[in-house]
Amino acid sequence: MKNKFNVKKNQNLSYLIFGAVLCTLPLWIELGVLKNSYLTLIGSVLIYSVAAIGLNLLLGWSGLISLGTAGFMGLGAYIAAYVTVNLKLPFEVSLLLGLAIPLVIGVLVGLISLRIEGLYLAIATLSVSEILRKSFEELGWFTNGFSGKSAVYPKLLGFITLDKYTTYILLVFFLIAVMILVNNLINGQMGRALNAMRGSEAAAQAMGVNLLKYRLVAFALATSLAALSGVLYMSFIKYTYPATWTLGMSLNILAVIIIGGVRNLYGTVLGAFVVFAMPDLFLKQIPYFGTMPGFAYIVNGILIILVILFYPRGLIYIGNDFKKLWGKLKARVAR
Amino acid sequence: MSVNLHLNENSVLKLEGLSISFGGLKAVDDLSFEIKEREIFGLIGPNGAGKTTAFNCITQFYKPNHGKIYFRDKHGNVTNLTEHPVHEIIKLGLVRTFQNVELIRELSILDNVLIGAHIDFKSSWIAQGFKTKKARAEEAALRKEAIEVLEFLKIADRMNLLAGGQPYGILKKVEMARTLMCHPKLIILDEPAAGLNDQETIDLANVIRTIRDRYDCAVLLVEHDMRLVMDVCDKICAINFGKFLAVGTPKEIQLNKEVQAAYLGVKEENHE
Repeated sequence: MKNKFNVKKNQNLSYLIFGAVLCTLPLWIELGVLKNSYLTLIGSVLIYSVAAIGLNLLLGWSGLISLGTAGFMGLGAYIAAYVTVNLKLPFEVSLLLGLAIPLVIGVLVGLISLRIEGLYLAIATLSVSEILRKSFEELGWFTNGFSGKSAVYPKLLGFITLDKYTTYILLVFFLIAVMILVNNLINGQMGRALNAMRGSEAAAQAMGVNLLKYRLVAFALATSLAALSGVLYMSFIKYTYPATWTLGMSLNILAVIIIGGVRNLYGTVLGAFVVFAMPDLFLKQIPYFGTMPGFAYIVNGILIILVILFYPRGLIYIGNDFKKLWGKLKARVAR
Repeated sequence: MSVNLHLNENSVLKLEGLSISFGGLKAVDDLSFEIKEREIFGLIGPNGAGKTTAFNCITQFYKPNHGKIYFRDKHGNVTNLTEHPVHEIIKLGLVRTFQNVELIRELSILDNVLIGAHIDFKSSWIAQGFKTKKARAEEAALRKEAIEVLEFLKIADRMNLLAGGQPYGILKKVEMARTLMCHPKLIILDEPAAGLNDQETIDLANVIRTIRDRYDCAVLLVEHDMRLVMDVCDKICAINFGKFLAVGTPKEIQLNKEVQAAYLGVKEENHE
């Protein structure tokens, strides 16, 4: 119990503090320290982090590749919009349905496709994602087709109408809740089983891990986190069209965990920041190149190569090197 | 209860006419033997004799083409292992190690051992996700048990280190610790002495004996190190080309003509 209030020992406490820090962002904007546009930017980083944590569970911990993240994110987003705007049901129902329907579809897809592995699984999930994207284009009654679908800020419990700031706080709440839940799961029986599955299928089976069951669990978790990310996207951005949910988005989410940190939750958030916020924050300031279309993709590509070369476990471990450097400097000064 | 009749009162495992072939190759051909409770049983044979294949059949990694494998589980019920999927075998009290250590490099030694307790977790995933009091107590109890197992094998001082990068002898012990978490009735060791030096091999013999005494279980091992096999085994079964050669005490096996022929070759007969 002594460790309960030690941030270094108690990960969950550190997530809570992280969440509290994130919650102060509206304050900085109101004080005029930060630009107004930063709210949308950081908010989107939080949204994509949720989906990326799901993919990290799948790719990082279980060793399964999926390229279908975008499809399930889009599905969550469209369901959220349809339920709140067309059916006029409360936010809570849209959240529930936005998670449940993709989850059911994800489990069905998993039951069929998880018998194959590696690249073939990537291809199977990619085609599912493309089927979903095509459906978004064609099912006009549900998605409003190419012209896109809009929504409004959520209304909690039927009477608390949120605005831009409070919706942002809602995003922080969901991200931190997801981080804590996932952290608890991966440090317990499920995490060890997923790790075992990735490390040695034979050992996992010999220790009583039902491979299909745990693959399915990892896939279902990844799918529902992608869908949750979509629901949050719709609540915060309030507008979507089919071209958002392409392979490019799935690859961006993949880039998030490769750049940020495989099997690391803070790394995932850092990766989401690098991939989704860096282009607007810094790259656009660069003269000439900044305005070039696709410049962010080029930078991401170079970053992935650099990270794999120098930080194969993710950019989050750059901190260790700074610590080492600091230690060396201190030693030199002391001498 | 008719299946109970297939296994003698004091036996834990019995193979009856086990056969498996890959294409045209009969890897294990009509193999039968029986292991008594608390017995240390060695399975020997030259390279490619089908020892590991026999292990994989017993633990259901391979489904044998023919034959029955009777096993007396933790509750004393006799069951035919071929009717169970591979991940259910450990629940019956049968657990194995691997020829090339199969551990998770990115996890600590303690977490690796806790994988062996996978089937002992009773609390739901929701309880684990929210870390309810019950789930925490369960994790703590199993963690304590894992530490005790590591202490028993004298590697508890390394428990928080990652498995990747540990010396081979330690990894072998970690794998053995992992098998002990399920309170097995029978442990199957696939070449436990491979890659160990002389001193480590001598230690290993003692470890195997103390495991048998402390956990009250039988041990079935495949091994090429004949000193270890002759030293530690109560009974040995020799096979060659998947076929049964002989079974008996270490002394009997050493003197068996067929076993000698299989290992050392047959002297050319001098035809007149």
